[in-house]
Amino acid sequence: MVEIRWHSRAGQGAVTGAKGLGSVVATTGKQVQAYALYGSAKRGAAMNAYNRIDDAPITNQETKMFPDYVFVIDPALAFSDDITKNDKPDTQYIITTHLSKEDLIAQIPALQDKAERTFVVDCMQISLDTIGRAMPNTPILGAFMKISKMYELDFFLDNMKKVLAKFPQKIIDANMEAITRAYNEVK
Amino acid sequence: MAKEFELNEVEVWDGNYATSQALRQAQIDVVAAYPITPSTPIVEGYGAYVANGYVDGEFVMVESEHGAMSGCVGAAAAGGRVATATSSQGFALMAEVLYQASGMRLPIVMTVVNRALASPLNVRGDHSDMYLGRDSGWVQIDAFNAQEAYDLALCSFRIGEHLDVRLPVMMHQDGFTTSHKAQNVYPLKDDVAYKFVGDYVPVDDMLDFSRPVTHGAQTEEDWHYEHKAKQHKALMDSRTVIDEVFAEFKKLTGREYKRVETYMMEDAEVALVLLGSSVETAILAAKQLREEEGIKVGIVAPRCFRPFPYDLVREALDVPSLKAVCCMDKSAPGGAMGALFNEVSAAAYSTKSRPMMTNYIYGLGGRDFAVDEAKRIMKEQKAHADAGHITTDIQQFSGLRGPKLGFFQTRRG
Amino acid sequence: MSKGLEGNANRGVRELGAEEKVGWDQVSQGVVLNSFVGETENPAFLKPEERAYNDFNSYTATVASWRIIKPVYNRDICIDCQNCWVWCPDTSIISRDKQMLGIDYDHCKGCGVCVEVCPTNPKSLLMFSEAEGAETALANWPEKKKKEK
Ligand code: SF4
Ligand code: SF4
Repeated sequence: MVEIRWHSRAGQGAVTGAKGLGSVVATTGKQVQAYALYGSAKRGAAMNAYNRIDDAPITNQETKMFPDYVFVIDPALAFSDDITKNDKPDTQYIITTHLSKEDLIAQIPALQDKAERTFVVDCMQISLDTIGRAMPNTPILGAFMKISKMYELDFFLDNMKKVLAKFPQKIIDANMEAITRAYNEVK
Repeated sequence: MAKEFELNEVEVWDGNYATSQALRQAQIDVVAAYPITPSTPIVEGYGAYVANGYVDGEFVMVESEHGAMSGCVGAAAAGGRVATATSSQGFALMAEVLYQASGMRLPIVMTVVNRALASPLNVRGDHSDMYLGRDSGWVQIDAFNAQEAYDLALCSFRIGEHLDVRLPVMMHQDGFTTSHKAQNVYPLKDDVAYKFVGDYVPVDDMLDFSRPVTHGAQTEEDWHYEHKAKQHKALMDSRTVIDEVFAEFKKLTGREYKRVETYMMEDAEVALVLLGSSVETAILAAKQLREEEGIKVGIVAPRCFRPFPYDLVREALDVPSLKAVCCMDKSAPGGAMGALFNEVSAAAYSTKSRPMMTNYIYGLGGRDFAVDEAKRIMKEQKAHADAGHITTDIQQFSGLRGPKLGFFQTRRG
Repeated sequence: MSKGLEGNANRGVRELGAEEKVGWDQVSQGVVLNSFVGETENPAFLKPEERAYNDFNSYTATVASWRIIKPVYNRDICIDCQNCWVWCPDTSIISRDKQMLGIDYDHCKGCGVCVEVCPTNPKSLLMFSEAEGAETALANWPEKKKKEK
């Protein structure tokens, strides 16, 4: 079982990202869950999305999890959210930031002893450059593929294209570029 | 003709979307609905299918949920296949018309996304609305996840519209936990799904001008009782039809449903009885506890809340090894033991094993039901079993902050 | 008596409420009441005496015994305005081709509404004791009233 917790703001596409990841994973015969904890929250409010991935059908319907991966797709949330909540000794953190890994960790006490399992990538800048607006949800998946080695990049891109099929070609291409850049740039 | 909708063999859908797809495949004539969280996406989805030509039907916007169910009653009496969706306060506002629909024997399908009832206002899932419907004369079927929501929505039409049943059906799923959680869903192709559901066969439809009928007649003490008894019998007898429909669905898809689902009950010493998405979490907890501590835990889940499967619950609990059973109610009991506790206890009373029965209230307003908490409750049942008597209050509260809350004790072994 | 007045053989054959009380197993599903026996084509175009009314239709029941006073109809004065036909709460005014024929005494409950709305002078409908014969009633019909100054 792989468990992922997303830290996002309502409107940044974490739920779409979690479902997109789920859709790719499901095509490979695995079982997935993609859900979020949100309710009457307004756009911009901090929220969590979640993924569970397993080979067997997943029956755990508990919302809380002890994540294997934490995605922080909004730079400010790395500072304001409890991103290391329910941390396991091997939980890995992928954080969107324009800071270097060292500068980021220096400013977040909770990450101090987790340097070797913390990774940074600037999904905001990448999405601005490629998609044209701040949509960090797809590039973070590129970074995740690199860190987790879950799938080869090309395989993931091909399947992600199918998930995005209903969008115009231009948007699909921009997302592919964003995923590829994040894959290459995550440190 | 409605357009075919292209579907993959496996989709990643949440419970709401899966349900709306099932409604689309059933080609409903009329959906009269008023949106309410968390069920809105079901009827919103249906409205989009109508607008985009995927359904030959009507979407009727109304001024309230009372209007929505009234519209459904009218359309069903007119002779159409009818469905709607609601939750919580909307369900409560429909309550008056729910009894009309069942008394008039109109096979409306309502997909209910379970949500707490105010006050305090709360959009999250518990079973307050589902429980509110339990005397309304509807068939109530409970889906524990998105795949089941899809499957059971299709089955609901078959059950309700069966000529021996002709009763409205509620198909329940848990708000957010199921309705908003995407997971693998294996849908049927449009033609296969429709063939399973079948063409709608109208009965006493008002649009049949060659046989004018009066619907909704008044009866007083001279007739009312006989009509209610006949209606009750139809609901009780729907058990065999439900079994048949589930059997046919299994033949088609390989996916098996039973009026009462049981897990690991063959050798169970203690058991949890519960409804909805928590069943899945409890199964996981039971498996882990069997491995970790060797405690023989089983799970019983009435898939069919109405007609209450007294027969099968009794059968499920008639296990010689069974000593302690905890019934978990996800609805504020309002000055009583939980409804599930009362009904399951009544069934357990006529078993040989006569297990010790306790009651937990849990999950109100969407409070998370944790695997660890499920295990704690299971271990508590084991403690009752070992002690030979109930070691706690009979009714307790799970996952509640503040001083321990509980009611009633017993010295009975 | 004209066909309309007579009705069909089923009209008013039982007291209202005196129908056979069947058990739960025989009551209709969903309290649905069929108006007619079997199928019928365009019942809206059939006259009541031509329709195959079901036992549960109130056409087959009578409320005649409820009446203490009854309306009597005077053909000689009537102008066929149809007011009584429109207003009668129990569809007990029989009219064919916009011509008033008389009263359906099986279903008339003696409320007097028809008399009240009749515009002629003197009225073409008047209430008489239930025991009064139609001929005596017609013989005692009042004269035209002078307009009051
Ligand atoms: S007395 Fe009343 S019921 Fe009888 S015909 Fe006149 S209006 Fe109708
Ligand atoms: S209201 Fe008087 S005048 Fe008019 S149709 Fe009736 S009986 Fe004749």
